[in-house]
Amino acid sequence: MKKIIIGLVSAFIIVIIYKSFTPKFPEYNPERNYVDFEEQILEAFILAKDSATIELPEGHFLFSQSLSIDGKKHITIKGKGKDKTVLSFKGQTKGAEGILVTNCEFFTIEDLSIEDAAGDNLKISESKNVTIRNIRSAWTGKVSNQNGAYGIYPVLTENLVIEGCEAIGASDAGIYVGQSKNVIIKNNKAFYNVAGVESENSTAVEIFDNEIYENTGGLLIFNLPKLTRYGSDVTAHNNRIYNNNLENFGVKGSIVSGVPKGTGVIIMATQDVNFNNNMVKDHVTSNLSIVSYLVFAASEDPEGSVDQSIQDRGIRAVEADFQSDIKYNPYPGNVSINNNIFKNKFSFPTLSNEYGWLMIFKNKTLIPDVVYDGILPDGAKIQDENHKICIKENGAINFVFMDAANDFHDFSNKIDPYNCTLNL
Amino acid sequence: MYFEFIDMRFLKFLFFGVTLVLLTRCNEPIDKRIAPKAKKLEGYHPLIKKESLEKNKLSEYDFFKTPMYDLNPTEQVYEYDLNTPLFSNYAFKKRFVYIPKNSKIVYKDEGVMDFENGSILIKNFYYPEDFNKPEEDKKIIETRLLIKENNRWKPLNYVWNEEQTDATINYVGKQELVNWIDLEEKKQEVSYSIPNLNQCKNCHAKGKEIVPIGPTAAQWNKKYVLPHINQNQLDFFHEKGFLKKLVEPSLRPKLPAWDDLLKPLDQRAKAYLDSNCAHCHNIEGSAKNSGLYLGYNQTDSRKRGIFKPPIAAGKGSGDFVYDIVPGSPETSILIYRMKSNDPSIRMPEIGRSIAHTEGIDLLEQYIEELVEKK
Repeated sequence: MKKIIIGLVSAFIIVIIYKSFTPKFPEYNPERNYVDFEEQILEAFILAKDSATIELPEGHFLFSQSLSIDGKKHITIKGKGKDKTVLSFKGQTKGAEGILVTNCEFFTIEDLSIEDAAGDNLKISESKNVTIRNIRSAWTGKVSNQNGAYGIYPVLTENLVIEGCEAIGASDAGIYVGQSKNVIIKNNKAFYNVAGVESENSTAVEIFDNEIYENTGGLLIFNLPKLTRYGSDVTAHNNRIYNNNLENFGVKGSIVSGVPKGTGVIIMATQDVNFNNNMVKDHVTSNLSIVSYLVFAASEDPEGSVDQSIQDRGIRAVEADFQSDIKYNPYPGNVSINNNIFKNKFSFPTLSNEYGWLMIFKNKTLIPDVVYDGILPDGAKIQDENHKICIKENGAINFVFMDAANDFHDFSNKIDPYNCTLNL
Repeated sequence: MYFEFIDMRFLKFLFFGVTLVLLTRCNEPIDKRIAPKAKKLEGYHPLIKKESLEKNKLSEYDFFKTPMYDLNPTEQVYEYDLNTPLFSNYAFKKRFVYIPKNSKIVYKDEGVMDFENGSILIKNFYYPEDFNKPEEDKKIIETRLLIKENNRWKPLNYVWNEEQTDATINYVGKQELVNWIDLEEKKQEVSYSIPNLNQCKNCHAKGKEIVPIGPTAAQWNKKYVLPHINQNQLDFFHEKGFLKKLVEPSLRPKLPAWDDLLKPLDQRAKAYLDSNCAHCHNIEGSAKNSGLYLGYNQTDSRKRGIFKPPIAAGKGSGDFVYDIVPGSPETSILIYRMKSNDPSIRMPEIGRSIAHTEGIDLLEQYIEELVEKK
């Protein structure tokens, strides 16, 4: 009898150990029957002339190399629907991207799935008037840091619409708009990514009607240093951002690997941000945080043991030397958080990061709805003209002013100083 | 006593359990980079209408007298060669230029000389069956053209047929298995990669334009390629009336031949780096962000790689610290990458899949000798 009890107790202990050490990663396992149609599709991409439409048939097409289009105008790539036309780059031996579009004008891609590229599934660079519609960009199997970096990745692009898309399993960001201008991101879904949707160094961006869930971090509005251009004027409204509590599986040293799991929204170092009429709920670290780049730079590994492979993969790494970039403003300003719904089914913060522990000790164990790090440049004051944060009409929320610059000395829940309106 | 409760069997069980947990955790990262099987779709189903205006066969250009296999040029087509060519998996190359009637080439000290619209650069890639008898039987793989049209260069590629009677236009690239007997009578084999049309700009890009690489004055400044013509190549084209504004011999730049043992070692090494690396490793090339610039006239030793840490090499650095460590080729990234055949490490990235032993020997000697000068 005693032995049976011992056995059961041990088994129980083992199960507990196992459960607590094994991060639970979700899987995306669609059924696939690959066919080789590579030569014909490659030929169509290479020979496409201005104004051509490449119509792709139904099927699961496997490629050993990237498909690329450079310097063309009015090209449309069209599938039979994202469940029917699948372009898979699983195990590709040439090129890093799935589809790579460079220097194009009036480019449209729609109604297909792109899967399992070594690097980014769909990258569009230095292009104008681009529409990405009803595209599913996914990495199949269990999510892993072997997955490529960006699902849908327009960069240095102007006049861009991303709508009706899905991004699944990116080891960096599902939908990532970098250094772009005049951008609409609407009616998309992002899940199982490290970052769901990210607007980075982009200007005049409108993000609405998106559903962002089960990522490590939901929506990131970032400005990063040492890039060719900086962003401002980002509006996010009518988005549903919930349950982004996935274990961070980003590549070490990448900027998103510093995103704590259970973060709904991060607004970092960006000016003129209007966040209104969104629903943000059920996050174990915080529903929304407004932070300076210093928070990320500080969390960088002092040993500098940044994984070298991230540079190969073109992933944004933490740049410790941001101060030498005089054009860069690492502090958020003119941020309006207005008329949103914040809720949380979790009642106890995560113990997996320092923010959770901070809330346990300083915030009566509550998970904050809105956090402001309060880090400002020398000589600036809280709520001065360049660093105004307005938080209004979001119901009864838990607000935290961290005072991160002074060892949390003036940590506070007082929201009154932020009851203001901005003209955005 | 409390410890009575923990008997050996319990410990064993716990140990087993923990090991099991650790084992399953270690097994977790399955390799996602293995390509699944795909069924070949039968038949040819073109996705776009091919209303190509390009000539479908190489023979349509009339560059060569019949049989084409001999690569004997017709009128207006002239052979040329270079002091130090790019290494391409030991392939032999026969280069020609088609110059339209009354057209000219304008001499330039630096960079590619100016060709007029209608000019065509023709490069044939072939392997002699036996490298000791290069004039005997050979296999021609491909012919690459650069056509000057509307003031731009357009690349086209033709793949030779099995019968070696003609070549057909190729857009999508191809792998071809090639055999030869090398200078030491050893059998060699390589899977030769014919590029697809989009890959041309990997090497031939200057900003957004496509440009030739070889026909510079420094590369052309050598004895003319045909044995019976005892004349400098620049003078040959000048005398034919094509090359204009040619300067006198003492003013012409000259790239040393990398295999000319009479030339100083550092000049040969720099010439080799110029031809094999500098088309990307220059301030306007696709490797501009590396900070490593290997043009023949580069004098800044750090830009040449000496004690220069890599910028974006990733795992290509092989955990070495500098591109070139004088006196220590075995810890120089440059040598490490020249020796590797791994696509994510090797340099150049494309155009070769086997290492160039003779080129590596030269660069190793050069790096070895750098320290002696110090």
